[in-house]
Amino acid sequence: MSRDEIKDVILEIIADIDEEADFVSLDANAPLRDQLDLDSMDFLDIVMELRKRYKLQIPEEEYPQLATLTSCVNYLEPKLKNV
Amino acid sequence: MAAYQLLIIGGGLSGIAAGIRAARFGLKTLIIEQHGLPGGLNSFYLRQGHLLETGLHAMTNCAPPGAKRAPLNRLLRQLHLSRKQFDFHEQIGSEIRFAGRSLLFTNDPAVLEAEIGRAFPEAIDRFRQLKQTIAAYDPFAVAPWRSSRQFLAEHLRQPELADMLLLPLMVYGNAEEEDMDLGQFVIMFRAVFEEGFFRPGGTMREFLDLLVQQYRAFGGELRYRCPVEEIVVEDGRVTGVRLEAGEVLTGETVLSTAGIPETMRLSGWEGERERYVGRMSFMETISLIPQSQAASLTRDRTIVFYHNGPRLRYRRPEDYLDTSWGVICFPEHFSGLEPAELFQIRVTNAASYPLWKALPAEVYGPVKQQWTEAATIASEEIIGNYRPSIVYQDSFTPVTIERYTRKAEGAVYGSGVKIKDGTTPWPNLFVAGTDQGYLGIVGAMLSGITIVNQHILR
Repeated sequence: MSRDEIKDVILEIIADIDEEADFVSLDANAPLRDQLDLDSMDFLDIVMELRKRYKLQIPEEEYPQLATLTSCVNYLEPKLKNV
Repeated sequence: MAAYQLLIIGGGLSGIAAGIRAARFGLKTLIIEQHGLPGGLNSFYLRQGHLLETGLHAMTNCAPPGAKRAPLNRLLRQLHLSRKQFDFHEQIGSEIRFAGRSLLFTNDPAVLEAEIGRAFPEAIDRFRQLKQTIAAYDPFAVAPWRSSRQFLAEHLRQPELADMLLLPLMVYGNAEEEDMDLGQFVIMFRAVFEEGFFRPGGTMREFLDLLVQQYRAFGGELRYRCPVEEIVVEDGRVTGVRLEAGEVLTGETVLSTAGIPETMRLSGWEGERERYVGRMSFMETISLIPQSQAASLTRDRTIVFYHNGPRLRYRRPEDYLDTSWGVICFPEHFSGLEPAELFQIRVTNAASYPLWKALPAEVYGPVKQQWTEAATIASEEIIGNYRPSIVYQDSFTPVTIERYTRKAEGAVYGSGVKIKDGTTPWPNLFVAGTDQGYLGIVGAMLSGITIVNQHILR
């Protein structure tokens, strides 16, 4: 998957979790949770959805690497390169 | 290999919510329900063509669609349900009525504050302070038990006001007698006085249908009329359940929503079962009268919480029923609801399980009839007369509640002692629902969700 494709997947997963999510003014380098007003339960859903779709096991200590859209893409790029 | 990744005992609100979470993320999940209908404590039944709801007077934690952090909206996101699928109706207004004193409240917290200013002018500043203390309190932080009564006594210095505030919060969500843990008080204060009451349009049947549909859409399986006889334990782990019919179902993990005492019995979990048996149970009387006869009754209230005695005694009564305090609910009095063919009045009073349980079968009916009458008469003192107009009336006791829900001694709010982390002596058996900590419809569903998130999805 390319970086753009990974970005689209993340946004699609978030849109599916929260139908009111507004991406218009989203800053890719700022924390997703604050900008989208997501809580830790929503955040867990991103991790669970990645596991369900791509069989990715993301250990809890690596969750901080999913903080921003850019850091998500950086973290997932090597893991999804063959998808 | 086990047949299921997750077996859930109980198709009530916590079990269905837990099931939706697990199935949504691909776990092969089976909910096993003893009854022929879903809902557990918040279900419905049909009698002579009338659909009667159990449990539900109102849902708490009302929230507007945009409030993302509100418990109701978090819950719907977790279940992947859209607010748009639901037709929610807010309460018109409710009343706490004590002998000679009355406080109204709506879903606008300013109304209660103004009412307290009117009825207890000497305590209004202290009430405002109390609200600030509650706003700053974190009820989810691990903390030792603290007395709400003492907290209120110190903050309000007005015993009657303290009783008036406690009545709705206790009767809608306190498993303990006489007093309430401060954390639970804060949760209930926000749920009732700050967020407020609402209900879904239609009946509990449609609401439950929507949840079950969602569960099935994610691939979850559900079996009715399958009472569990035993939670099977081998070599320190749970391997599944055996049904009363003899069938054994295997599961990698089992989640029980049957309450701690019943889960102990099913699994052979050694411990002080009595410690976990709640003492608060209720009898509910439902009366139907023609709409034309409802006009003379209290019109503009959704729920009336009444109390006639000197001090509030929230505890198991000495007699079959305590009609000196109780709750009267008009399920139609929510904004925007169309009147049904018949007007419904629901009356709830504290009841003594041991007395009801000890009744021989041949006198149970007549005694129930006698107390149904007593509850109705007590409610007439508050809302006006309606006995001559009753076209249908039914009531259920703590024994009925226990039979249909397996909540030990019909304790609708479960154990006074909660197992907040949901764990048991076995690493793959968990408990969720009223005995885990959260109460009410929204609370029970959050309980199922939280336990699955913490222990099963990770």
